[in-house]
Amino acid sequence: METFDIVVIGAGPGGYPAAIRAAQLGASAAIIEKEQLGGTCLNWGCIPTKALIGASEIFEKIKHSAALGITVTGAAVNYAAMIAHKDKTVGLLRNGIRQLLAGNRVKSFAGVGSFVDRNTIEIATADGPVRIGAKKTILATGSTSAMPGFLPKHPRVVESRAFLDLKQLPASMIVLGGGFIGCELACMAAMLGVKVTIVELLEDILLLADADVRREVRGHVEKNLAIRILAGKPLEHISADDQSVRGKCGDETLSADLLLCAVGRKPVADRLALENAGLKTNERGFIEADDYCRTAVGNIFAIGDVTGKIQLAHYATAQGIAAAENAVGAKPRKHETIVPNVIFTSPEIGSVGLSEDDAKKQNRAVKTGRFRFSALGKAIALDETTGFVKWIADDATDQLLGAAAVGPRATDLIAEAAIAIRAELTARDLGRAIHAHPTFSEMWMEAAHAVHGECIHAPPRRK
Amino acid sequence: MATPIIMPKFGQMTEESAIVEWLKKEGDKVGKGDVLFTVETDKSVMEVQSFEEGALLKIIVPPRVNVPVQSTVGFLGTPGEPIPAVTPPAPAPAAPKPAAAPAPGRPAMQPITAPVAAAILPQSRMPAASPQAPAIFRISPRAAALARDCVIDPSGIPGTGPEGRVVEKDVRNYLRQSGYDNLRISPAAKQKAALEKLDILAVARAADGERVTLADVDRALAERPRAMSKMRQTIAQRLWQSVVTAPHFFVTVAVDMTDLLALRADLKAKGAPLTVTDFISEAVVLALKEFPDVNSTTDGKTVQWRSRVHLGIAVSLEQGLVVPVIRNADELTLLELNRSARELADKARAGKLGPDDMIGGTFTISNMGMMDVENFTAIINPGESAILAVSSTVKKAVVLEDRVVVRSIMKITLSSDHRIVDGAMAARFVNAIKQKLEDIELWKHLTS
Repeated sequence: METFDIVVIGAGPGGYPAAIRAAQLGASAAIIEKEQLGGTCLNWGCIPTKALIGASEIFEKIKHSAALGITVTGAAVNYAAMIAHKDKTVGLLRNGIRQLLAGNRVKSFAGVGSFVDRNTIEIATADGPVRIGAKKTILATGSTSAMPGFLPKHPRVVESRAFLDLKQLPASMIVLGGGFIGCELACMAAMLGVKVTIVELLEDILLLADADVRREVRGHVEKNLAIRILAGKPLEHISADDQSVRGKCGDETLSADLLLCAVGRKPVADRLALENAGLKTNERGFIEADDYCRTAVGNIFAIGDVTGKIQLAHYATAQGIAAAENAVGAKPRKHETIVPNVIFTSPEIGSVGLSEDDAKKQNRAVKTGRFRFSALGKAIALDETTGFVKWIADDATDQLLGAAAVGPRATDLIAEAAIAIRAELTARDLGRAIHAHPTFSEMWMEAAHAVHGECIHAPPRRK
Repeated sequence: MATPIIMPKFGQMTEESAIVEWLKKEGDKVGKGDVLFTVETDKSVMEVQSFEEGALLKIIVPPRVNVPVQSTVGFLGTPGEPIPAVTPPAPAPAAPKPAAAPAPGRPAMQPITAPVAAAILPQSRMPAASPQAPAIFRISPRAAALARDCVIDPSGIPGTGPEGRVVEKDVRNYLRQSGYDNLRISPAAKQKAALEKLDILAVARAADGERVTLADVDRALAERPRAMSKMRQTIAQRLWQSVVTAPHFFVTVAVDMTDLLALRADLKAKGAPLTVTDFISEAVVLALKEFPDVNSTTDGKTVQWRSRVHLGIAVSLEQGLVVPVIRNADELTLLELNRSARELADKARAGKLGPDDMIGGTFTISNMGMMDVENFTAIINPGESAILAVSSTVKKAVVLEDRVVVRSIMKITLSSDHRIVDGAMAARFVNAIKQKLEDIELWKHLTS
C-alpha cells in the first residue's frame, strides 16, 4: 500500500492548492477527486458563470454603445457559441490544474475517497477499489446545490449546475432564491433578453450586502434589466409540465419556461465514511474545523465549503494553504479572516470586513465615507457611472474596518480595500496614498477623504 | 442664592470620600429625596439624597476624586441663579497620613484601622511615607513631541540636557537602542496606542508576530493594570497588615453536627428560622467568655482585654468582602443573634451598610459552608486575635463507639495570633466550641 504524507480529498479551489502547497514544502502528496479537477468553482460555478456573464455584459454594452458614438446593427446572441466559449475556458483551466499537480509531483486519484481508518483511505476508482495510506488528511469535499423536496422533478426545474449546461436559454425564467448565485444568473439571463422574476422568501435580495448597496443593485436591475423582484414571500404550489413551470407567490400565479433553484448549498460529506476515522459531522452536516483548520481528529484537517464557514472559493484556497502548512508541521498559523466577497450582478458588488449594518448591530461607533462613480472622471469618460464605494472606519482610531463597492469593476476594486483592512491602515493613510489618475482606483482615495469630510471632488457636506 | 451640596460624613472615622457617580446631570431637576450621587468610602458605596428641591446647577467635584468630607461638591438652586465662585476642594492625599503612635488603653470602641495603620505605614514603601520627593522630570518640547509622535513613554529616558533634561537627541538615541527603528507597526495599532496612552515599545515586547498589530494593542489594553475600588484597596491593605504583624497559626477540629442539624430542622418546622451560623455564633460567644485572652488585642507590647464580644460575620459580596459586626453579642439570646445577623446581612447585600456597622469587632466568623469546601484557613481581622473558618458540613463515615456510622461532619479551623494565643489555648478554645456545638442538651435548653 502506497502511503503519503498528505492526502487531500477533493480537488476544488481549496483542495488542489492544499496539495500543491504540501508538495512545495517537501511532503509526498496525493489528491482524490470524484468528478473533475477544479471542483464546483471551475466546472459549475465561478468560472463558467463568469464566461457567460462576461459575454452578456459585452452584449449589454453593445446595446448602449450609441451614446459613445458606436452604432451597431444586427448584434445577436448565439448562446450555443457562448456555451462553447465557456466549455473551452473550463477545459483550458482544468488542464492547467492537471499540469500543476503533475509538475509538483502530486499523485492524482479519480474516484470517491472514504476512510477505512484514520490513516487509510479507500478510493472507489473505475478499475475497482484502491487503498492508500495517509499520515495526514485534508478534507476539501465542498458543497452542492440544495434542492428542496417541494420542487417537482422535471427538466423545467434546474439548479445552477444544470442551468449552465442548457444549450439554449428559455424565454422566461423564475429564479427561486435571491442570494448571490440566483442574482448573478438572473442578471446574466436578463442581459441576454430572458424575462426574469426573482422570488425571495426573506425581506430583500442579497441580504448579506448593506442596505444602500442593495438599493443600488435593485434600482438598476429593475429599471434597466426589467427583472421583477418579489421579496418577502414564498413560492408555493409549484408544478411543471411540458408547457411551463408555475407557482403561486402571494395572490399571484407566476408562470415561466424554466425555474432556477438557487436557495443555498449543502455540504458533501456523506461518502467519506467519517465514522471509520472517529469523526462526525455536526447536526447541519458540516465537518467542523478550528481557525487552524484542525478537526476533532488530530491528523485530519478540513477546509472550504464542507466546514460550513463562508462558502467562497478564495476563502477555501486560503484555508487550504494554511491547512497544508499546518499539516506538514510548519509553525501553526490561523487561516486568514479578512475575506473579500464579490458578486457579479449588474452592477457588480464587492465588500470586505465590517459592514455598516453589522456596525449598527454591534453598536460600534464608526464613521463612513462614500464617493459616487458619477463624480469620477474616468467613470464618466467610460459612461459607467452607476454606484459608489464606501469605507467604514473606526470613529476613535480612524482604522479602516470595512468597505463596500457597487458599480463598474467593483469586484476588482475591492482588492485594494482588503489589503488596506488587513494591514490595519487608517482612512488618513489611505487618503494620503497617491492613486493614479484617471483610474477607477481613485474612488477609494476620494472615499477615504470623505470619511473626514475632506473630499476634493464632492461638494462640502452641509453642517 | 444657590445652595451648596456638601459631601456628607459617613461614620465617625471617615475623613475623605470620593463620588462614584453623579446620578443627575447639570441642569437636571432634583426632587426632595432624589439620589444626587453615590459615594465610595473605604468600606462601602452609599447613596446621597437631596434635602431640597431645585435644579442641579453645577457639579464642582467630578467622580473618582477624593475630597475631605464637608466639602462643597456642587450647587442646587433655580436655573439661572448665580453660583458663588468656589475653588474645587484640594483632592485628599492618596495615602492615609500616619496617625499618632498607638496609645495603650484606648477604649474598646476605638476603630481598629488607625492603630494598626500607624504600626505598619512607617516601614512601608507607600509614596506618602517616602522621605524624598520624586525628582522633577524635565523634557524639551521637541523631545516630548518626538516621543508623542512615536507613541513611547519618555519618562525613563536618561536626559543629557541641562539639569538632566531629556532633549531630542536623547529620544533619538533611545529609539535606536531600544530597537524602535526596526519595529513594524500597523497604522491602526499606533493610532490606538496613542489614544490610549500606551507605550508602543512595551506593546511590541509582548507582540505575537513580527509586526505590531491592533490585536497586540488590544491585548496590552486588556492587561493594563486597573485601579482597584477603594473597598478592594482597603481589603488589600488590612489583610496585608494582618499577615505581616500577627503571626498566624491554625488549629482544625471536626465537629459532629448530626444532632444539631436534626434539632435545627425540628425548630425550623416549628417556625424558628435559626441558621447554622447562629448556633456557631452562640457557641463562639460562650467559648469566648471562658477564654478571655482570645477576645483580646495586642500591639506587641500590651494586651488589651475587651469586656464585650462584638462578633464580626464575614459576608461575601460581588464587590468584595465585608464584615458587619454584631454589637454586644455576649448579651444577646440565640434568637436575637439570629435577628441581628439577618439584619446586617440584608443591609450588606443591599449596599446599605454604614462604616460604623463594620468596625470594632473583637472576633470574626467566616462561614464558607455553602461554598462546598472541605477546610480552609482565614486571615485574622486587624485588631482581633483570632478568626474561625467554618467549612461545609458533609456526610462522612466515622467511628462511634467502635462502629462505623454515617455522621454529618463540619470542619472548623481557628486562626490565632500567636503573640497572644498559644497552641494549647487555641486547641482548648476550638474544642470548647466543638463541645458546645455537639452538646444537644445545651441547645435544647437555649431554645426551649
